[in-house]
Amino acid sequence: MRIPILKLHDCLLISIQWELDDQTALQFQEDLLHKIHETSARGVVIDLTSIDFIDSFIAKVLGDVISMSKLMGAKVVITGIQPAVAITLIELGIRLEDVLTALDLEKGLEKLQRELED
Amino acid sequence: MRKLIFDYVQTHKSEILKEWISQMKQDADERAVQTMSAQMFTKTSSEFIELLISNFTETEEEFQSKVVGFAEKIVRLGWPLTIVTLGLRTFSHIVAEGLQREELVGQHNFIEYSFEFERWMFPLYNTIIDTYADTWERTVSLQKIALQELSAPLIPVFEKISVMPLVGTIDTERAKLIMENLLDGVVKHRSEVVLIDITGVPVVDTMVAHHIIQAADAVRLVGAKCMIVGIRPEIAQTIVTLGINLDQVITTSTLKKGIEEALEMTERKIIEVEEER
Amino acid sequence: MDSCVKITNEWDIVAARQLGRNVAKDLGFGTVDQARITTAISELARNIYLYAGQGQVCIEKTEAAGKVGLIIISEDQGPGIQDLRKAMEDGFSTSGGLGAGLPGVKRLVDEFTIDSTPGEGTLIRAIKWLR
Repeated sequence: MRIPILKLHDCLLISIQWELDDQTALQFQEDLLHKIHETSARGVVIDLTSIDFIDSFIAKVLGDVISMSKLMGAKVVITGIQPAVAITLIELGIRLEDVLTALDLEKGLEKLQRELED
Repeated sequence: MRKLIFDYVQTHKSEILKEWISQMKQDADERAVQTMSAQMFTKTSSEFIELLISNFTETEEEFQSKVVGFAEKIVRLGWPLTIVTLGLRTFSHIVAEGLQREELVGQHNFIEYSFEFERWMFPLYNTIIDTYADTWERTVSLQKIALQELSAPLIPVFEKISVMPLVGTIDTERAKLIMENLLDGVVKHRSEVVLIDITGVPVVDTMVAHHIIQAADAVRLVGAKCMIVGIRPEIAQTIVTLGINLDQVITTSTLKKGIEEALEMTERKIIEVEEER
Repeated sequence: MDSCVKITNEWDIVAARQLGRNVAKDLGFGTVDQARITTAISELARNIYLYAGQGQVCIEKTEAAGKVGLIIISEDQGPGIQDLRKAMEDGFSTSGGLGAGLPGVKRLVDEFTIDSTPGEGTLIRAIKWLR
């Protein structure tokens, strides 16, 4: 199953709605990078509101995709990380240091606009 | 033999008590004796001796409930367990000496006496220590619950800004609870900036700092900003001396400054209004 | 109830954590603890898949001293861990991952024991107590 990537002006929107298995995560990484290339998008918002856990593998894929997008000139904002997910990530020792975050999709888009204006 | 011991103890009750108190005052840990008035000490002591004697006369259950009552009382009074065990030993010495002095116990029946006395004292020892330990454990677990209830509420002060005041020592258990409250609150109130006020935290060591940094990290992950406020001079000193790196977190000395900064971060400020007359 | 999942491919990792999540929910764990348990299982199952090739993860209810908890037992007959102390260090990884694996799992649960013999396999027991 592939995760749909929506285009909105110069931004890409992704809402992950179900539990990520390894293949889906890797497929997503590839799809997103291609889409950035295709559309020359400058910003990406990934919404994780429906995700109730992230293990170190998924976290690595996410971290990688953020760094890769940056290399291709697109800023990524992650939105809707649940408290339980944030706590387990921190306890696992995964800090996702230079990642931009926002409470929800709406605030994520606002933040992205601000970042792109700077 | 049992009757002999009992009769002796019963008839010489006040002597034994007096002797016991004077010996206890000599031997016992000063701290325990000094924490209460002489009158209180005498009263509690006589209750203790009464309790020991009642073991002879009362049924198992009645005795049990008395022991529980007594144990709860001494835990409340802050008598250490050592006093209780020392008290039991002193009591057996006094009784043994008294019986020998009156020549009720001599070489011919000493073995029988020790045996009987042991049989009386041993369950008593057990019961008292068990009860003491139980009461103590219950007190500790109640206090633990009380402490948890004390744990950190998140207070929304302005739109997008919340404050979490921390009071008291932070251990791992509490840190986890605080983190959960903090994150749930941030999401629920849709806060963009959270201020953690550590004015009420007495000591910030590496452990506590680590918990605070983790909380700040987690807040960032859910999409808000975290600020640590209430950093007193001595806390700033220990943080730097211990080499704790708080660079990733915004910090200020007072809650007031923190709020001002938080308002600025959310593009607002407090202005004075001139009153219209 | 079948409380064990055999781990032979990536999909089994998903099956193991789904089982863990269900058991945790049934036992009455809160959302944060559910996430901790699910994540711990995912990490352990992935370790089996990556390093041992195959093994199994069992998830059961456990009781001790009046407490109820959930125990995760991860077992394999793989190559074992050469240097246990190093494997338990933060940031150590032989697979190019984040290196959050075992010490991370240890932080997610309340009790954690590991038994590993090079050439024979690894047995890990992790317990989370219900608060």
